[in-house]
Amino acid sequence: MHLLGQLSWQAIPFDEPLPMIAGGVVLLCVVAVLLWVWLKGYVPYLWREWITSVDHKRIGVMYCALALVMLLRGFIDAIMMRTQQAMAFHAAGYLPASHFDQIFSAHGTIMIFFMAMPFMIGLMNLVVPLQLGVRDVAFPTLNSVSFWLTAAGALLVNLSLVIGSFSRTGWLPYPPLSELTYSPDVGVDYYCWAIEISGIGTLITGINFVTTILKLRAPGMHYTRMPMFCWTALASNLLIVAAFPILTVSLALLLLDRYAGFHFFTNLGGGNAMMFMNLIWAWGHPEVYILILPAFGVYSEVVSTFSGKPLFGYRSMVIATMAICLISFMVWLHHFFTMGAGADVNAFFGIASMIIAVPTGVKIFNWLFTMYGGRVRFSAAMLWSLGFMVSFVIGGMTGVMLAEPTADFELHNSLFLVAHFHNVIITGVLFGAFAGYSYWFPKAFGFVLDERLGKWAFWLWFIGFWVAWAPGYVLGLEGMTRRLQHYDVAAWRPWLLVAAVGVLIILAAIIVQVAQLVVSIRTRASRRDLTGDPWNGRNLEWSIASPPPPFNYAVLPHVENQEPYWDMKQRALEAGHLQTPEPAYGPIEMPRNSATGFVCAFFAVVTGFALIWRIWWLVALGLVGAYATFVRFAWRDVEEQVIPADEVARLERANRAARSQALAVLAERVPTP
Amino acid sequence: MSTSTDALPPGALPQGGRPVDPSHLGHRNDATAAEREYTGAGAGGPAPKRIVVGYGFWIFILSDVILFATLFATYAVLAGNRAGGPGPHALFDLRNTAEETVLLLFSSFACGMASLAVARRNLLWTQVTLLITGLLGAGFLVLESGEFARMVSRGAGPTHSAFLSAFFTLVGCHGLHVTAGLLWLGTMMAQFWAKGFRQNIRHRFLCFTLFWHALDIIWVGIFSLVYLIGEVLP
Amino acid sequence: MSSPHGLDATSDPRSDVGSSVGADRLPGEPAEAGPGVLASELRSYLLGLALALLLTGAAFWALHTHLIYGPGIMMAIVVLAVAQMGVHLVFFLHLTSAPDNINNTLALAFGVLMAGLLIFGSVWVMNHLNHNMLPMQELIRMQP
Repeated sequence: MHLLGQLSWQAIPFDEPLPMIAGGVVLLCVVAVLLWVWLKGYVPYLWREWITSVDHKRIGVMYCALALVMLLRGFIDAIMMRTQQAMAFHAAGYLPASHFDQIFSAHGTIMIFFMAMPFMIGLMNLVVPLQLGVRDVAFPTLNSVSFWLTAAGALLVNLSLVIGSFSRTGWLPYPPLSELTYSPDVGVDYYCWAIEISGIGTLITGINFVTTILKLRAPGMHYTRMPMFCWTALASNLLIVAAFPILTVSLALLLLDRYAGFHFFTNLGGGNAMMFMNLIWAWGHPEVYILILPAFGVYSEVVSTFSGKPLFGYRSMVIATMAICLISFMVWLHHFFTMGAGADVNAFFGIASMIIAVPTGVKIFNWLFTMYGGRVRFSAAMLWSLGFMVSFVIGGMTGVMLAEPTADFELHNSLFLVAHFHNVIITGVLFGAFAGYSYWFPKAFGFVLDERLGKWAFWLWFIGFWVAWAPGYVLGLEGMTRRLQHYDVAAWRPWLLVAAVGVLIILAAIIVQVAQLVVSIRTRASRRDLTGDPWNGRNLEWSIASPPPPFNYAVLPHVENQEPYWDMKQRALEAGHLQTPEPAYGPIEMPRNSATGFVCAFFAVVTGFALIWRIWWLVALGLVGAYATFVRFAWRDVEEQVIPADEVARLERANRAARSQALAVLAERVPTP
Repeated sequence: MSTSTDALPPGALPQGGRPVDPSHLGHRNDATAAEREYTGAGAGGPAPKRIVVGYGFWIFILSDVILFATLFATYAVLAGNRAGGPGPHALFDLRNTAEETVLLLFSSFACGMASLAVARRNLLWTQVTLLITGLLGAGFLVLESGEFARMVSRGAGPTHSAFLSAFFTLVGCHGLHVTAGLLWLGTMMAQFWAKGFRQNIRHRFLCFTLFWHALDIIWVGIFSLVYLIGEVLP
Repeated sequence: MSSPHGLDATSDPRSDVGSSVGADRLPGEPAEAGPGVLASELRSYLLGLALALLLTGAAFWALHTHLIYGPGIMMAIVVLAVAQMGVHLVFFLHLTSAPDNINNTLALAFGVLMAGLLIFGSVWVMNHLNHNMLPMQELIRMQP
């Protein structure tokens, strides 16, 4: 038995220029960044303040940073696919088939698991404890473990670019193609282990947030006084807890087939490949609701703030959210209408899929009614929300079209389907992520992003998205299927060229967003958020300084109704001064930093890599290391650190000064009656 | 303005603000302040750490239940696919199953006794009952591995057919959970001995008891739906 | 000293740190030690053990007895299994529907619902698929 399992120099694709150049560039960038960090002496700071941090705000920022980097990686895949399809009419294009297959697989995997999920989880991490009026999530160290396990999964997927290859089976590895017989190389293993590892992280996040939202809220915050973002976060995390075990098992069964010769999904031995589709979509459908529900929550926050009105129909929003949560578990077969379950089964799931559109419609109407009669401010975050409302309705309607089984027999796996899900995910999830990014960036960092560049970015994304994907609907109806490396139908060519132009417009949008970040950081002194409330917000996260102190609230707020901060502000404005008296300051205990997350993830990467390449001794070492890390963590005697009373007093006094300043600014703006 | 601690008449406005619970959704609108902040609804402020840890672990158990549900579903779908090989009638030894069930049940009972001992901070009884819990659990594992070995030696290993793959994975996953539980049990015994009945160790022990009882509940499902029903069906 | 999870004792007059007013209960958590509590808890566990043994025995017995209508044996086993799970939940984990336990019961109900949808949904779907899509199944099953 080889010491390095199946790993050898042949794993590195020296003869393929594209991955070699790409890998080389990435490696150079990574090494350059690491060197810069080390030489500038930032390592102790990074270790102490970010890598071992268990502060939900820091973890949230790291999740969003991971998502943004992975967005670039996945987008490069998108550019490659669009340009290939624009070129490959009666031609081979520049991407050989085996590469193209890896690219569309990697694109989907990265965008869903390592871009959209981390972005939403990052926003929830940053905002939910602040909105609930508490100091941290229920399990801060596990929160850190979650993040680092997600990053470990992302690392494994990206390693596959240069060591071995990625899977060629699409973003969901359907058997029998994904079985060892037809995918003998390590690509599917890379996929499976990366997702299994990051899936554990996501499951822990789900448990963490369900517990936080149900058991850790400020005094007086009944369920009916929670902000809408917290309700959608609750629904999303309940879905994570319920759905991710299904994903874990499905991939584990596939791995058992591949590694141990079991017969779950094989052709021989009585296996049933269709069971994989059934199980993976029983996870897959709740997954898309896990993605969209927090985005809906972001829109609720943004629309009510920038309309200057409370959210319309709070109760119906809550009911609609929980209805979506429940029904999302009853529709999964609509992803495989054509697999042959028959009319009865198809009809049930088709009707359920149409029913689930109703609560979303309720939400859209509520947002519209929130804006109606309000004084709408068209900030960048509001523009993202408006773009969402217009585009998502169209995407949702195409979804209802697909929910009709007989129509789906024509449209299944066509570009119509691909256009539908890009429509709902980009204009739904991604626009929501960008809206949340614009909206809460000042809270996280203490300065506002450049609004003008933000608006440019929105318009370029909005126009670029429609130029890229409206042709998709047409192409689907004209019969083009997905994942084509080349094609011969002349009628499709013009549409694919338009789509390629669209992706270039989106590229411009992304460049503008990068520029926005760079420019904003450079000029941050002039765009400081001194009041903690740059948008005249309505919920508790705006009642503390930007960025908040580590303990968030020196004194947990007492909540008396919905939108407690808005009420506080109005009462303070009427009275002309801050309403709460200066409290008696005491020391505050906060959880200590811990390297557990980072070290666990390190062993996870080692174990995952060893499993992929069948290096069994290294697997054992990795597992022992991970277990030892947990035991070490469980054995520590001191779990908390104390922030002394005078430090608390200093930070809180600065906060109160900011509050008074905000009050003065508001009093000027809003004439008191 | 200080926040009022007295009861408000229903629908009344606190000083200068909006009516409390204008939709009258909370059914304690008429109650006193203490009752209104009933922690069952989470509105009494952040729950004590004991509750947070225990509830979080309960949610984890939920996710584990769904993990097993997926394996049950897989077994239910693939149980008929024997690829011409042996089926439940030929393979299942119900006497063995009965012994495993009794062992695990008494192990669960011993764990309950251990939680009583921990509540009374009695180290001797804690360690004794935990040891019994562990030994009974280990006995269960011995019987189960014996059964697996017997099946494999007869050529009915998990690589033989879909039915056997599903059986070994479902029952084996439960066995893996029991093994992990025993490792955890050993760690708990060591921690109680080394650090006494410190609060966070008692919290972890609470999670362990939840885990152990949940495993017995899953086993009830397994022996009923896999072994017993396997005998009933043709 | 105020902690991240406890209430702020420094300022909130209603801080209930350590109080049991409106406190939640946890599954599996024994009650506070006190006179007479041990006896009642032991009773609960012993009763649970006895009931579980009885129900388990009944399930094994149901297989071979002629007292149950043949096609109904499967249902009897399922019912007995559910009863045993209930015994565990009530007597060992002290799960009730009282307001202090309601979050736990709701969470359990949610999990049971999801598990039920998954298992029954999968069996329903796969049965239809097998019936429509795998005519070779009988052929394969007939092989020695």
